[in-house]
Amino acid sequence: MATALKLSATARAFDGPILELRGLEKRYTGTHALKPADLAFEAGEIHAIIGENGAGKSTLIKLLTGVTPRSGGEIIWKGKPTDLSTPHEAIGLGINAVHQEVVLCPHLSVAANIFLGDENTSHGILRARTMVRDAQKILDDLGFALPAGAMLSSLTIGQQQLIATARAATRGTQFLIFDEPTAYLTRQEAAQLFALIRRLKSEGVTCVYISHRMEEIFELADRVSVLRDGTLVGTRLVGETNEQELISLMINRSIDQIYHKDSFQIGAPILETRKLSGKGFADVSLTVHAGEIVGLYGLIGAGRSEFVTGVYGRYPTTSGDILWQDKPVRINSERDAIRLGMALAPESRRDQGLCLNLSVGLNLNLPIFDRLTRGLTINGKLEHDAADQQISDLRIKTNGRNALALSLSGGNQQKIVIGKWLNHGAKLFIFDEPTVGVDVGTKAEIYRLFSRLLAGGAGIILISSYLPEVYELSDQLHVFRAGRQVSSHGHKAASHEQILTEAIGV
Amino acid sequence: MSTPAPTAEPQRGRIEFSRLLGLTLVGVLAAMFVFLAFKTNTFWTVNNLSNLARQGAIFAVLALGETFVIITAGIDLSVGAVASFVTVVVGFLIQGMVPGIQETLAGFGIPEGLAGGLGIGLAIVLSLLLAMAIGAFHAFGVVRMGLPPFIITLATYTALKGIGLLMTNGSTINITNDDFTGFSRGQLLFIPNLFIIVIIVAIPALIYLHFSRFGRYLFAVGSNAEAARLSGVNIHAVIYTAYILSALCAGIVGVLLASRTGTGNATQAIGSELEAIASSVIGGTSLFGAVGTVWGPLLGAFILATIRNGANLMNVNSFWQYIITGVLIILIVYFDGLRRKKR
Repeated sequence: MATALKLSATARAFDGPILELRGLEKRYTGTHALKPADLAFEAGEIHAIIGENGAGKSTLIKLLTGVTPRSGGEIIWKGKPTDLSTPHEAIGLGINAVHQEVVLCPHLSVAANIFLGDENTSHGILRARTMVRDAQKILDDLGFALPAGAMLSSLTIGQQQLIATARAATRGTQFLIFDEPTAYLTRQEAAQLFALIRRLKSEGVTCVYISHRMEEIFELADRVSVLRDGTLVGTRLVGETNEQELISLMINRSIDQIYHKDSFQIGAPILETRKLSGKGFADVSLTVHAGEIVGLYGLIGAGRSEFVTGVYGRYPTTSGDILWQDKPVRINSERDAIRLGMALAPESRRDQGLCLNLSVGLNLNLPIFDRLTRGLTINGKLEHDAADQQISDLRIKTNGRNALALSLSGGNQQKIVIGKWLNHGAKLFIFDEPTVGVDVGTKAEIYRLFSRLLAGGAGIILISSYLPEVYELSDQLHVFRAGRQVSSHGHKAASHEQILTEAIGV
Repeated sequence: MSTPAPTAEPQRGRIEFSRLLGLTLVGVLAAMFVFLAFKTNTFWTVNNLSNLARQGAIFAVLALGETFVIITAGIDLSVGAVASFVTVVVGFLIQGMVPGIQETLAGFGIPEGLAGGLGIGLAIVLSLLLAMAIGAFHAFGVVRMGLPPFIITLATYTALKGIGLLMTNGSTINITNDDFTGFSRGQLLFIPNLFIIVIIVAIPALIYLHFSRFGRYLFAVGSNAEAARLSGVNIHAVIYTAYILSALCAGIVGVLLASRTGTGNATQAIGSELEAIASSVIGGTSLFGAVGTVWGPLLGAFILATIRNGANLMNVNSFWQYIITGVLIILIVYFDGLRRKKR
């Protein structure tokens, strides 16, 4: 746990932090998303927050903006403890957030979006022209050359992001959170955004800046706090730290022990791609052999998921070759891939992995119902036995096969997503972020499962944004950035720092 | 990040709820029967009961077909129009009003029917095939053209009405084949033929939905099509099946209706799509998909038929039945929503 670091007492003449967290924490069933954290934000500072995916950044934002209630601790706004349990309350205090994805109404005008919920009316009638004029004044003043009368959807995503920022900045906001705001911005748009952030700072607004991009933090921020596995591990003055220190704070070495890795005889190639290109990735060449884990590391959006879903037949590949057990194959659909012997445990359990409002048993058996069928109908005993076997083998905590998938905790849901392929007898298992939102104990179980699959002669592709995981488990590690494979390493052949640097591209 | 997983209670509640709903519906039906038996002296007569069975049968088959589509989280607004259209088509075929078709079929060695039109069996088969083709077109619109189910089935609803009206010149054609019209009045061991059709349709439907893998796939697609697809389910085939079955049921209803009324009329079943949806929803089918049974819509349809029948017998202004149906739908869906929230 970190102690709150005050700015050197006289550096700025503030009579106390604008927002203070005392022992703030958040628990979900099975996970401790944010462990008790103490942190004080000063008025008018730009405070960066960094951490790997799943380190607790989004949880912190959700707590600060009242989206989710906290499990414990205090939030102190200008010296007074506050409830902060609804977004409405947060906005009332002057706390606002600009999200990575634009959350505005695309079919309304720029002006209507800026004033949404705060419209200028005369006897109940919208004063549309006045609003456009006022919005234009704001945009001009901020130096954004954007038309206030235009439909929001006619702007680029980056421009929409600037509008969202303008909207958040002009509502009496005193505390503004930016969640990876430059993810979709061009360089020029990013420069406009930085100018706005500096201006807000000069007006005394506190800006919290969440980003993966080190260079932005050193360019913009006054202080930086680092989150790791839900723990606030440290806060530094930007002038007194460097990239190396921040990266080593972000990477956790203490839980290395859970990455239990057995070595297996590396067998024949199962899957090989040669200069494979498709939607969101280009020129990827790699080979997966029986008995090995091939890790794909990169930041979110680096093209790893796109690559594996391309191989899996979700979208057509545009060029290059796929070889399955040394034979060239064409994979036009997921069903082709599954027939060959591939199994994909997708990135998002909720959106892609599970039929949440159906039973555990149905989810587990979904890929193998053809084998459970005798004649016209499913053999009930086969169906029940197959499900029960996975539930006990994988120690899935559930009220039984008839329980709904949504009643399970994240880790147990993940076991279903993986477990449904175990009766299927696949040769290549693709795990896309298998341990996101999963507690440490279940993580270890999932890794043991990997060993079991490898021992059975299967190969594994492991995608993770959590470096220690891919680093420790992979026999080969391929680093992705912006849709391309930027480097490849053997087991632990490069340092964490080198790999992270390659992935970030500093 | 995982969100708080509910405790073990909701799923237990759900199973209880689904059983409870089934039992409640049977109970409601039984209560109405008892009530009407005491309140009227005409209800519990062979004549009235077989009348009730016939009325309910038509909507039961329609609602059953609709349920397949609703389980995939879709909707089929066209069933009333398809049924009406089929009454026209089957009438045309039986009455020999399709120029050239007999010669064409004779060319394939298929003999022509008795009364100058096609044989009844052939006319029915052709009509049902046409209905299935309409269902396939709905699936094509949903899967290939990316149209919302509401839109594509609304479009065929109006278009089919138009085609049927053009074919009949806006009037009604009389079907004069006594074998055909006699069927709907017939009975087997005191059970009206129409009710037997419900059983004949329900048994394969039960096997398909609750005992075959394709039924599991239907639920999976309705719950999360992407997860189903990534698990190797041919989701296009599943969606085609749902819409074709819905249209087939509507086609069967069209044939039955033509037999019952002895007419082909392009608008005679218009409006019954809402009755079908209501029956299905009252039977516990969730409009959000992935929840539904075979017996639910059947019970729902017979409950609505009993309300209508009872209102007639008790001389209650028949408009009340609409109000009662509305209240029933609100109550059922409200409790369904409560169950969802509890999760």
